[in-house]
Amino acid sequence: MLRYILVRLATAIPTLLGMSLVAFLIVALAPGDPVMMELRAMGIVPEPEDIAALRAEFGLDKALLQRYADWLWRALHFEFGTSVATGRPVMAEIALHLPATLALAASALIGAIAISLTLGSLAAVAGRYTGAGLRGLTILLVSVPSFWLALLLIYIFVLRLGWARLVGDGSLTDLVLPAITLSLAAGAALGRMVYERIRAEMSEDHVRLAIAKGLGPLQILTGHIAPRIAGPLATAWANAFGGLLGGAVIVESIFGWPGLGQLILQAIAQRDFPVIQAYLVLMGLIFFATSLAADLAVILSDPQLRRRLGDE
Amino acid sequence: MNLLNKAAHVAVAATLALPLALAPAQAETTLTVAVKRDRYSVAEDKFTFTTRRPAAQIVETGVKPDENFLPSPLLFESWDYADGIYTVTLRQGVAFSDGTVFDADSAIASLKLYDQGKSDFLQIDQESFEKLGDYQISFASEKGSALVIENMTHRATSLFGPSEDRAVNPVGTGPYLLDSYEPKQQITVVRNPDYWGDAPSVDRLTFRFIGDDNARMLALQNGEIDVIGEVSPQMMLSMPQDGSVVLHESRPIRYVALLANLNGAAPFDIIQDDKVREALAWAIDRETIAGVLFDGRGVPAKGILPGWMFNLGEDHTDGFGFDPEKAGAMLDDAGWTMGADGVREKDGRKLTLRLVAAYPNVSTVKPMPEMLDQMFAAVGIDIDLVEVDDSGVYGSTYLDTGEADLYMEFASNNNTDPTYLLYNLFTSVTAWGGYKFTAPGPHVDELLLKARKAQSREEVVDLVRQAHRAIVQDDLAAIPILMVPNFALSRPGIEVPMSEYADWIDYGNVRFTE
Repeated sequence: MLRYILVRLATAIPTLLGMSLVAFLIVALAPGDPVMMELRAMGIVPEPEDIAALRAEFGLDKALLQRYADWLWRALHFEFGTSVATGRPVMAEIALHLPATLALAASALIGAIAISLTLGSLAAVAGRYTGAGLRGLTILLVSVPSFWLALLLIYIFVLRLGWARLVGDGSLTDLVLPAITLSLAAGAALGRMVYERIRAEMSEDHVRLAIAKGLGPLQILTGHIAPRIAGPLATAWANAFGGLLGGAVIVESIFGWPGLGQLILQAIAQRDFPVIQAYLVLMGLIFFATSLAADLAVILSDPQLRRRLGDE
Repeated sequence: MNLLNKAAHVAVAATLALPLALAPAQAETTLTVAVKRDRYSVAEDKFTFTTRRPAAQIVETGVKPDENFLPSPLLFESWDYADGIYTVTLRQGVAFSDGTVFDADSAIASLKLYDQGKSDFLQIDQESFEKLGDYQISFASEKGSALVIENMTHRATSLFGPSEDRAVNPVGTGPYLLDSYEPKQQITVVRNPDYWGDAPSVDRLTFRFIGDDNARMLALQNGEIDVIGEVSPQMMLSMPQDGSVVLHESRPIRYVALLANLNGAAPFDIIQDDKVREALAWAIDRETIAGVLFDGRGVPAKGILPGWMFNLGEDHTDGFGFDPEKAGAMLDDAGWTMGADGVREKDGRKLTLRLVAAYPNVSTVKPMPEMLDQMFAAVGIDIDLVEVDDSGVYGSTYLDTGEADLYMEFASNNNTDPTYLLYNLFTSVTAWGGYKFTAPGPHVDELLLKARKAQSREEVVDLVRQAHRAIVQDDLAAIPILMVPNFALSRPGIEVPMSEYADWIDYGNVRFTE
């Protein structure tokens, strides 16, 4: 098992390097001259030496490859420089906003898992018309854009019912609406997967045998189907967590949730390159970590894989 | 018994009155203002924490802009400029919030802080400071500029008192003290009980940073905020008309104009013909555009600097009316004849112009590009409309390369240096990237370079007036379209003292009418 993890980590190095190169190039080659934007923000009539100093400060007086090498070396030490917009270290900026985003993504994931298991199981065991209705509901929820859903929830729960406030302060009660917004769409997408997995398992011999033995639907679901689909579902949940982190950007903006979404939107608007690069690397690392966790979950839930890796 | 009765009555009355006696004499007035984003930087070389909108309430500047953007007394009581030396008399009876007296020594120490900054647009010669008396100082500009006091109307030149860390404990002379700051969420300031000037009307001011336009509007309608400090045109169009939201506006200050590429290479060289530019100017129905955009609150523009600004005056430019026939005749005169498809031609070349909309982004001026497209089509000009929603793409793809004929911009001169905007946008020596393409030529360069070196304000403004006329009237490097006010929205019962200079909207002195 340890060997598997080490091999998995070693094979990730080229991927992570590629990811860092993409993160660097996306920003370095993006339209928009940071020097020009800085000059406009400074509000002065600049002299040539001001421009040269700015180019040097942003490292733009060096070749692209050298800039990448310098940046990568610092990134390996988790030094992403200082935010152009706020003057604070980039890692301090991220530390300010990451907890809120993680809390939102985690609560949305919990909600999504609950919704997906409920919808998927009910659709699988329900009658023809109820099942079709539930499947239709999942398609509807998957199709609705999150920003529209957010505005709808705001209209109902904030403006009409007055059960929640729109401009929160990051407290737990303010988390409810954005978490529901994110979890509905993610839960519906995962629900379809749960439904398909259960249906596939239901045609397997071991389930037929369980039916023949006279076991009830709940016993079959929990005792025979759930263990078989837990691994693939864990993989899907891990990927969904990454997706929720990314998808939180718009929802955070609408609800004013003080997470990384707000940070990255402002960073893009202000061409805050150090923050954008750090965000991309961080998101890549989180995706990598969650997919690794998902792989491990699959191994742990599958006795055959566990045995095979134990023998190696 | 009677006595006992009376005693009992007194006791009951006293008990009932107790809460009233314990209650504060006056309820605290609070105001929550929503603004788009947290723009503060705590970097030493470009420190803006608490100096810029929305919370420029803690620290104050030496002078403030009056209604014509001319400096008027604030911490500086009076000033004089002669032979390259500024002599300033400081206001007496002022103290920083930590108790330090504002006098010649502390004023010089405060002014010296700005030498650390990248945007040191005061550009004071650091060796030139002299204490002439307890409340009088002198200094010189390191560039020989006569506009140092004008530049001190900028909030970024606010004077800080002594503090170990300005980002944690900003010490100023202003009407408010920092209460709390949560980056990218909110900043709260409370009334300074020892403020030297008139006490503000609001005791506690909170500025919430809410990036999403819809969320700001909904929060106002839901009573969670009192004022929206940054209003987009789309928010104005979606503003409820039932009286639940009140609009406040300044005088028009922001311009919408088409900047012409006067120095482009083919195929972006058609616009170099001044008859084509003038035809474009006459083909625009500004009244119609003004009626559609910004809910009819824009006004047809005669320039890109409003006449009241710097006392430029209204009559140094003439502007252009809407006269499509005249526009057509000008194009005929320039040799552009109407083709069978309704697009003019000359020497086998179609009169097609690329119009890039817009700076800072196209959503701020929608649907103006489409309206102009139709107006120009009516006189036989085909518009290749490119809409961009990102100022970076606008700049690096189209402006810096000169790969367009017309650039639509929605901006304003928010700098009290009269030369600032024109110099950066319309001189060949500009450091602002692609604006060399919109420079009319040596005559405008000369006017603005002279203005930057002029030694009296009158001379500066006169040269700027001439340059402005050349740019928007004679050379048409900029075809003016609209002038638009600054806007704020509030719940009913609040009057916001608007300013054309967004940094100077005095939210601490809103008036509560209900």
